[in-house]
Amino acid sequence: MLETLLITWRETLEAALVVGILLTYVARSGQRRAVRYVWLGSATAVVAALICASASGGAMALLGGETQEVVQALIVFGAVGVLSWMVVWMHGNSRSIQGDLHRQADSALATGRLIGLAAIAFVAVFREGVETVLFLWGVVVQRGVQLATMPLVGAGLVGAGLAIATAWLFFRGFAFLSLRTFFRTTGVLLLLVAAGLLTSGVNKLIGLGYLPPLVPQLWNTSWLVRDGSPLGAVLGALVGYRSRPSLLEVLAFAFYFPLMLWALNHAEAATRAAGPGEESARPAA
Amino acid sequence: MRFQLAAVALLACVGSVRAEELTIALRVQAEGFQPATIAAPAGSRIRLEVSNETATPIEFESFELNRERVVPAGQKATVYLSGLSAGSYEFFDDFNQKRRGVLTVE
Repeated sequence: MLETLLITWRETLEAALVVGILLTYVARSGQRRAVRYVWLGSATAVVAALICASASGGAMALLGGETQEVVQALIVFGAVGVLSWMVVWMHGNSRSIQGDLHRQADSALATGRLIGLAAIAFVAVFREGVETVLFLWGVVVQRGVQLATMPLVGAGLVGAGLAIATAWLFFRGFAFLSLRTFFRTTGVLLLLVAAGLLTSGVNKLIGLGYLPPLVPQLWNTSWLVRDGSPLGAVLGALVGYRSRPSLLEVLAFAFYFPLMLWALNHAEAATRAAGPGEESARPAA
Repeated sequence: MRFQLAAVALLACVGSVRAEELTIALRVQAEGFQPATIAAPAGSRIRLEVSNETATPIEFESFELNRERVVPAGQKATVYLSGLSAGSYEFFDDFNQKRRGVLTVE
């Protein structure tokens, strides 16, 4: 029972953390419409995960296991792209958001961008959602649909609920940050999430034989943080932590993250140069 | 598209220098992995064919091999491994962790 709970906790945590960051991020910038889109993306993903997992013998099987994996990897890379662009764009806007709050922010959020937000939430929830549903479904099938199975399914659902609570607690901490620090921190955090997603996509392609690992195990930090442990799960969700990464995964991270960090700073500097009035009217919050 | 081309090109380069490829069949049954212990020579490229013969989905997972793959009931998936150094690598079914096995590389 505890195992069931831990497994769904771990599977749900990544999705909950990503959705949590997105929600905290857009809520703090006063973009109410955007909040709704994040929820919309998440809810659609839960439904889609249920459909896909239940159809895994049918429609999904037609695609074939390998193709499914490749499609998943491509979806992950797509999400990394959208996420990167969102962070840089939103960060560039955080100044003006401070200046003229809701109205300006709302008009700046074109529908395309809202759909982008919904898409990231969708990918985050869908990825882990299918696994969670498949796992719980397996529990039910293995033990039969009977009364004794229900506590196990219950434990699974509690695990998912705890993951959401973990993410919520995590982001409560951010409420104490000043607006400026808040956007910096969450922006960098989102880029870390994107970098983690990128490495997980690369890992998938290595496992499928499409990419060489170069060096299969560059280092081993399992003595410090084990992959299956709660801390390992949190780090796995946030930065794509793996105790024994291959060289190619490390290269992907090491290439992407500094580059995006630079783009983030660049966008910030550009906004500052474009709107000096706002900056002087409102000294560093 | 460019990414895919690059991937294929990179794969072709690596493929040309690679010497041996080894296929290992790994069956997943209700009671566990069959066989539970598999072996391979160090440095070889391994095609691990995981067939799920149970009635529920499984997730082949190994922290030591840095791999995870969901395999739906009754289906087969190929997990690629390469350039492993000598040692033993544990793997398990993440959806039913009583199912465990070891890959011995020597």
